Amino acid sequence: MSTETTQTKTRIEYDDTPVRQFMIASIFWGIIGMLVGVLVATQLGVWQANFKTSWLTFGRLRPLHTNAVIFAFVGNMMFAGVYYSTQRLVKARIASKLLSRIHFWGWQLIIVAAAITLPLGLTRGKEYAELIWPINIAVALIWVVFAVNFFWTLARRNEPTLYVAIWFYIATIITVAMLYIVNHLSIPTSWTHSYPIFGGVQDALVQWWYGHNAVAFFLTTPILGIMYYFLPKAAERPVYSYRLSIVHFWSLVFIYIWAGPHHLLNTSLPVWLQSLGMIFSLMLWAPSWGGMLNGLLTLRGAWHKLRTEPVLKFFVAAVTFYGMATFEGPLMSIRSVNALSHYTDWTIAHVHGGALGWNGFMAAGMFYWLAPRLWKRPLHSTSAANMHFWLGTVGILIYMASMYVSGITQGLMLGATKEGGTVLAYPNFIEVVTSTKMLMHIRALGGLMYLVGFVMLAWNVWKTARGAEIVNGSVEVYVPEKSAGMGLGGGFINAPVIYTTLLIVFAAGWGALPGAGSSFCIFGLIATAAIMSMSFEFSKAGWNDWYERLLANAVPFTALTAVSVFIGGLVQIIPTVMVNTGASIEGMRQIPYTPLELAGRDIYIREGCYNCHSQQIRTLVGDVLRYGEYSKLGESIYDHPYQWGSKRIGPDLAREGGKYPHSWHFFHMRDPRQISPGSTMPDYPWLFTDKTDTAALPNKIAVQRKIGVPYGPMTDVEIQQACDTQAAAIAAELKTAGAEVPPEREIVALISYLQKLGKAEKVTHAETPKTAAN
Amino acid sequence: MTEPAKQPNDTPLDDSLRPHIYDGIQEYDKRLPRWWLLTLYGAMVFAVAYWGYYHAYEIGTPPAKALEAEMAANAAAAANKSGEITDELLWKMSHDVQVLSAGKATFDTTCAVCHKPDMTGLIGPNLVDNQWIHGGKPMDSLKTITEGVLAKGMPPWGPVLGKQKIAEVVAYIMAHHHPGEEIIVVAGWTPPAGVVPPPPAQ
Repeated sequence: MSTETTQTKTRIEYDDTPVRQFMIASIFWGIIGMLVGVLVATQLGVWQANFKTSWLTFGRLRPLHTNAVIFAFVGNMMFAGVYYSTQRLVKARIASKLLSRIHFWGWQLIIVAAAITLPLGLTRGKEYAELIWPINIAVALIWVVFAVNFFWTLARRNEPTLYVAIWFYIATIITVAMLYIVNHLSIPTSWTHSYPIFGGVQDALVQWWYGHNAVAFFLTTPILGIMYYFLPKAAERPVYSYRLSIVHFWSLVFIYIWAGPHHLLNTSLPVWLQSLGMIFSLMLWAPSWGGMLNGLLTLRGAWHKLRTEPVLKFFVAAVTFYGMATFEGPLMSIRSVNALSHYTDWTIAHVHGGALGWNGFMAAGMFYWLAPRLWKRPLHSTSAANMHFWLGTVGILIYMASMYVSGITQGLMLGATKEGGTVLAYPNFIEVVTSTKMLMHIRALGGLMYLVGFVMLAWNVWKTARGAEIVNGSVEVYVPEKSAGMGLGGGFINAPVIYTTLLIVFAAGWGALPGAGSSFCIFGLIATAAIMSMSFEFSKAGWNDWYERLLANAVPFTALTAVSVFIGGLVQIIPTVMVNTGASIEGMRQIPYTPLELAGRDIYIREGCYNCHSQQIRTLVGDVLRYGEYSKLGESIYDHPYQWGSKRIGPDLAREGGKYPHSWHFFHMRDPRQISPGSTMPDYPWLFTDKTDTAALPNKIAVQRKIGVPYGPMTDVEIQQACDTQAAAIAAELKTAGAEVPPEREIVALISYLQKLGKAEKVTHAETPKTAAN
Repeated sequence: MTEPAKQPNDTPLDDSLRPHIYDGIQEYDKRLPRWWLLTLYGAMVFAVAYWGYYHAYEIGTPPAKALEAEMAANAAAAANKSGEITDELLWKMSHDVQVLSAGKATFDTTCAVCHKPDMTGLIGPNLVDNQWIHGGKPMDSLKTITEGVLAKGMPPWGPVLGKQKIAEVVAYIMAHHHPGEEIIVVAGWTPPAGVVPPPPAQ
C-alpha cells in the first residue's frame, strides 16, 4: 500500500501478457490431456490400444492423463484467471514482470518434463504425485515464485480491502504449498528415483490428505475465486450474499482438510480416522453448496441472458455440476455407500463430473469471456461456442451415465454373495470386466465428444486472436490513504477467533481424552457454542467490524487461513506417524522384501499396476470371500510408497502371493488373455527381454534402511548374490512348467514380488522386527 | 450487521448492497437460506452423534468385529443347512443332466484355462486318463479342488466357488469316469510340448 497521505490519481496499466500466455497454454495442454484421456478410456475396452509398447500402456498413460488435466490444463487456467482478476480486484499491476515470466515458462517446462518422464515409467507411484523428485523441487520453487508475485501484488494494492475471490486465492496458495511439500517428502536413490519417507498406513493417510485436498485446493478453491470474479462480471449482477461468502469460505477451508480419509473407508486405516473422514465429509456438503448458491443466485434477474450468452451457459452448467459433485462426494463418504462405490467406476463418474463439468466448463466460460478482452476483437463465432456447450454437455452426460451404470454394476457384482453369504455370486473377476466392456466404449465416445467441443474452443479463440490487436486493461485509481494496520495479534486476539479456537480445542479433547477429561470437554463444547451464539447476537456489529478490518489486512488474514487449514492435518497425521510404526500392528507384520522382490516391486510401480490393482482387502464380506482375510495395518507397514490403490479395474492383489504358480504369472504377463479370456490387461513383452536393474539395489536398500525398513547389513556382492540365487530358483521352477526365461530378466523379479504379496508374520508386542532374509 | 449509510431507511436490510465495489462487482448481503443453515447444523449434530456412538462411548460395533461376526454367523447357518457329501452321492450326481450342465458351465469358465475344455490337460494335468496325482476318487477330487495344492499351482477354489459348484464340477469330471476304474497315482504332470507357447525371441 502507498504511504501517500494525500489522495493522488494515477493510471495503472495491467500486465495481461501472462494471462494470454497461461490461457493459450491451458487450451493447448487441455487438448493434450483430454486426448490422452480418450486413449486410456479406449484402452479399457480395447486392449489392443496398448500397442504392446511400454510407453503407451494404460498404467503409464493414466498418470499422464490425470497430471495433464489437473496441473497443466486446470493449473494454467487457474493462473490465467488469478493474474487477470487479482490485478483488477486490487487495482494494481502484477508486482513483477520477471516473476510472471519465470512462473509461466517454469510451469511449462515442468509439464514437458512430466510428459516425457511419465511414459518412460519414471514415477513415484503415488496418484497425482507421480512426478519424480527433481520435478517436485521445480514445482515447489515455481509455486513460491507464484506466491511471492501474488502477495507482492497484494502488498502494492490500491484497493484497501480484499474481495472474496482473493480469499480463495490466498487459501489456495498456502494450502497447496503445504500439501505438496509434505506428500512429496522423499529420499532419492538416484536422479530419477526416490522412496517416500512415509510407508504403509502413514503413506496412505498422507497421500489422501494430499489427494483429496488437491481436489479441494487446486481444483475447487481457486476456481471458486474465479467464479466470484467472472460470473458477476459476465452476468452484470451483484453477488448474492456477502455473509454467505464469509460463512462458506471459512467453513470450507477449515472442514475440507479433514475429509481425506474418506478415500480409505473400510480399509485397515484406524477406524477413528475413517470416522473423522466420513463425518467431516458430511459437514462439507453445506459449505460447498454455499459456493454453488452464491454462484447461481447471483444470476437472479439475469437468467434471460443465458439464451444468448454462451459464457453464462458454461458458468451455470459448471456451477450446477459443482453442486452435483459436492452433493455426491459426501454421499460417497458414507461408509455403507462407499462399500458399494469405492474401487469402481462410480468414482470415475464422480471425478469427471467435477473435472469436465466444473473445471472444464468454468475454463471454457472464462476463455470465451477473456478472448475478446485480451485481443481487441469480438469472439469469432458465438454459434460455435454454443455448439461447443451442447457437444460438451451431452458428452459429459454420456460419459457419466455410462460410468454410473458400470460402477454400480461392478460394485453389486463384486459384492454379491449366495448360499447365505458364504459364497460369491460372481466368483470370476473377469465376469465383471466382460459385462461392463460395452460401457467403456460408450464412455470413450462421451469423452471424445467433449474433446471435439474443446477443439472448437481452440479454433474459436485462434480465429479471434489471430491478427487482432493485443490489449492490456487499465484503470484510473485514487491511491488510498494507508489505514491503520491491525497487526498479527489483531487477527487472532478477538472474540470470533477465540470462541472458534475453544470449540476446536473442546471437540478435540472430547475425541482424544479419556474419562473425566472427555466429559469435561463435551460440556465445554456445548457451553462455548451456547455462549458464542449469544455473544454473536449481542455484538454482531463488533464482529462485523473486526472482519472488515481483517479484510484490509492481508497478513493476519493469510495467517488465519493458514492456521485453519493446518489443524485438520495436524490432528490426523501426527498421531498416525507417531503410533502406527513397524513394531506390531494388529498382530501382523510385513516381512521385508528380498533384494530381488524389491527390484520386482519397483517394476510393478514403474508399470503403474496400482492404477488397476488395489492391495487392500476391506472389512467387507465380498472382499474377504474374494481375496481372503481382510488386510491388517502391519501387512504393508514397510511399503514405501504404499500401494493400496484406488480402483479395481482388475482384482485386488493384497494376497496374490502363492495363489498361482510362477508359470501362471509368466504366461499371464505375456498374454493375459491366454490365462484369462476376456481380460483387458495389456501384454508386457518387454519384461521378458529387459534385464532387471540390480545395480541400483545397494542404493535403494540403503535408503530403505534409512526410512525404517529393517534391512540387515548387506554388501553389494551379497545383494547381487541374493538376487541371483532367488532368480535362478524361480527360473528353474518356470522351466519345469515349460516357461523358459533367463533368470536376469525383469519378469523373474516381478514374479518374485507378486509371490511375496500377503506374506506377513504373526507378532506379539514384545518382539522386535526381524531383519530381511536373503 | 452494520447498515451502510447510503441505504434509505425503508430498504430491508436483506436487500442492501455493500458499500465496496470491486472492479464493478457489487455484493448483496442476503440472509443465509434457512434450509442451507439447517443442512449445515444438521450435519454437525450428526457428526457429534456419530462420533459419540462409535468412538466416545463405543456403543457401535467396530467394522472389523462386525465383519467377523457376520461371516461367522453366515458360515454357521450354511453348515447347518448342507448335507453330507460322499463318493456315492457324487457318482449319482454324475448322471444328473442338470448337474452336469451346471458343472460344465463352471468348468468351462474356471477350470478349462489350465485343464483344457476337453480335460486333456494344459498347465494343469489331464483329468480324463486314469493317472491321478492327488487321488482319483470323487471325494479326492472334491478335496483337491476345495483346498487346492499350492505347491503344484492348484489354487483353493472352496472360498471362490462354494460347495455347490465344486460338487457339480466334480460330478462333471466324474462323468468321464466310472466307479471301480483303475487309479494310477503319479508324482506330477508335464505340460505337453507345443501346447504351452514358446518364450518370446530373445
